[in-house]
Amino acid sequence: MKKRLFFLSVMTAVVGMALVCAPVYAVDTVKIGVVGPRTGDAAATGKAFEEGIQLATAYVNAKGGILGKPLEIVFEDTAGAPDKAASGFERLVTRDKVAMVLGESHSSSALAEIEVANRLKVPFVVVEAWADPITAKNYRYVFRAGPSNSGVVKDTIAKWVVHEGFKKAYIVAENTDWGLGIAEISEAALKAAGVSYASLVTERKSQDHYMELAKIKEFDPDVVLAFIYGTGLHYFVAQAGEVGLTPKAVVLDGAGPPSLWPDFWTNVGDYGNLECFVSSMHKQVELTPLATQYREAYVKAFGQAPTDYKSRSIYDAILIAADAVNRAGATDAEKVVDALESTALLVTRGTARFGTEKGGPEYHQWMPPMLVIQWQNKEQVVLYPPEGATGKLKR
Amino acid sequence: MDMRMTKNRWLLAAGLVAFALLPWGLGVYHQHIMIVSLFYVMMAASWNLLAGYTGQVSFGHAAFAGIGAYASGILAAKAGVNPWVGVAAGTLLAAIFGFLVGILCLKLGGIYLSLTTLGFSEILHIIINNEYEITRGTMGLQVPGLLSEYSKLAYFYIFLAGALLTLGVVYRLIHSDLGLNFRAVQNDERAAASLGVDVVKVRVLAFTVSSALAGMAGALYGHYLLLITPQIPSLDQQFLVLSMTVIGGMGSFVGPVIGAFGLEILSEYIRAYGEYHVLAFGLVALAVARFAPRGMVGIFRSVWERRRQAAVHPSLPAESP
Repeated sequence: MKKRLFFLSVMTAVVGMALVCAPVYAVDTVKIGVVGPRTGDAAATGKAFEEGIQLATAYVNAKGGILGKPLEIVFEDTAGAPDKAASGFERLVTRDKVAMVLGESHSSSALAEIEVANRLKVPFVVVEAWADPITAKNYRYVFRAGPSNSGVVKDTIAKWVVHEGFKKAYIVAENTDWGLGIAEISEAALKAAGVSYASLVTERKSQDHYMELAKIKEFDPDVVLAFIYGTGLHYFVAQAGEVGLTPKAVVLDGAGPPSLWPDFWTNVGDYGNLECFVSSMHKQVELTPLATQYREAYVKAFGQAPTDYKSRSIYDAILIAADAVNRAGATDAEKVVDALESTALLVTRGTARFGTEKGGPEYHQWMPPMLVIQWQNKEQVVLYPPEGATGKLKR
Repeated sequence: MDMRMTKNRWLLAAGLVAFALLPWGLGVYHQHIMIVSLFYVMMAASWNLLAGYTGQVSFGHAAFAGIGAYASGILAAKAGVNPWVGVAAGTLLAAIFGFLVGILCLKLGGIYLSLTTLGFSEILHIIINNEYEITRGTMGLQVPGLLSEYSKLAYFYIFLAGALLTLGVVYRLIHSDLGLNFRAVQNDERAAASLGVDVVKVRVLAFTVSSALAGMAGALYGHYLLLITPQIPSLDQQFLVLSMTVIGGMGSFVGPVIGAFGLEILSEYIRAYGEYHVLAFGLVALAVARFAPRGMVGIFRSVWERRRQAAVHPSLPAESP
């Protein structure tokens, strides 16, 4: 009986203390939501986002926060699944009452999320989901501060293929909005450039590409444009090496980050050497002083140089969001959208400016510059654009 | 006795009215949780009709929800059919598939029935994933809503009507002569057949009705989310429904309702643990199946019975030593 009374007293005290103390510790913040995969095949992207969030939050709060209040980021895991992404987005808005939402790295998830953003009238800045329809739908509340399929292909991949003098290309695309979309744009760009090509679609989660590789080998391409995201890309690269497709043909990872994930070399072994990938980040190509500042802050916080460029992409998006809300003078969605439309902010990848002309994917789109990089003895060598190149293609 | 029944009916009606008015005092987020809970009430109650009342443990229930969802979604998104007509078509198609699977499984029982339905579920999942030109696979099929203007409150009442319809069908079935046949087949199929129960009819009927109700739930859910993905007919979903029914109380009328609301609300709190919350539910379901086979309803009933015994015989100890 005494024990029970004692337990009850302690519990009462604890609950009482919690109730009394709660208001003391409750800090008035401006909440911004981030959506991204923290679990699933692309969980590494979620980790990269978390790193970028940590650095950006510290940066924004050191500069006075947002509207004089500290910035608070609420991260919602989407697991790379469109249904989870849509419900997670809605949860951020209805439960956490965020002023706006940023992030995403899967086009199919982003396409589900933009419908929710449009319905709930919440500004959404997409960071690393590339499918053109995300901005081509011309939704007032949807922006993209990151690459688009058409931008990456026309500005970088197609030009690089021509620059290297490749005559035959094979396109391998996963069956997602990003994969199918970028394959279609690549086909049109290669055709326009006079490059002979063939293409096939692969299952996103496939771990066995031998049949497809036999078909590709028969075509004897100079370059394989692999639009496969996640660890699926690792299987493809390793198996391409096993069947002897590489190094005769060059494989370009058309997304980028999977070639930079910590388990890349474990999964692909030596077959990863001479693989090419698309990226917006390289230690010798820093376009703004903020890029250098970001790298230094990253090294200080995590004890190593940044690898996955998506940590820097979300960092930029948070700075863009903070700038827009501060200029809007409120978290009101309409004012924030107006402020975003007039953004001209120097971030790590250049000056962010969103297109305002309706009718195509350029609406509310800011396309940062991209690079083509090749692994040469585990060193990253920039191949394209020529003005940023740190070496030449090896085969 | 009549007075007691009348009182119970009044209490039930008052409870229903109070529940129907509840969303008016809630925010959008909590309205969403109630809508999803009502979807799971439909799923768990209809699965309970099959597993709890006829003893046919099917692992294809989520697949039937998927058939309803995709049939309705494809008709609405690709053929421009009114979503309400799509829901009716999805329900009908799920019923037809349920009928066919029911016939296929006529001679199967126990583990063989479960394995067959598991295989059916996986086949459907593979087809949906690979036929992405029709279903859009893992990209998700965006579908129009049931209403011209999106309203959580309106969806709440649609799902409430769906859940009441499901519970009404289940109630009428289990309280009819057919319900007695269901129980007879569940307890001993051969004995039931020897007493003139048409076992084939009972099993196929249970499969068809249960599948139709799951199809309706899936179709409504797809049009509520405005997006249909292979998650609806997934095994994750199947095991969640199974957990809800087992934890709530398999073979009882209110068990699935308690399980659906309990686990959906709980899952919102433990969502941060990602996929592990499904694992946690599975473990709890295993523990309940082992130590409290009648679920939460069984626990409530035994506590209630003990108290009633203690009130009738105050001299008896309330708890056994």
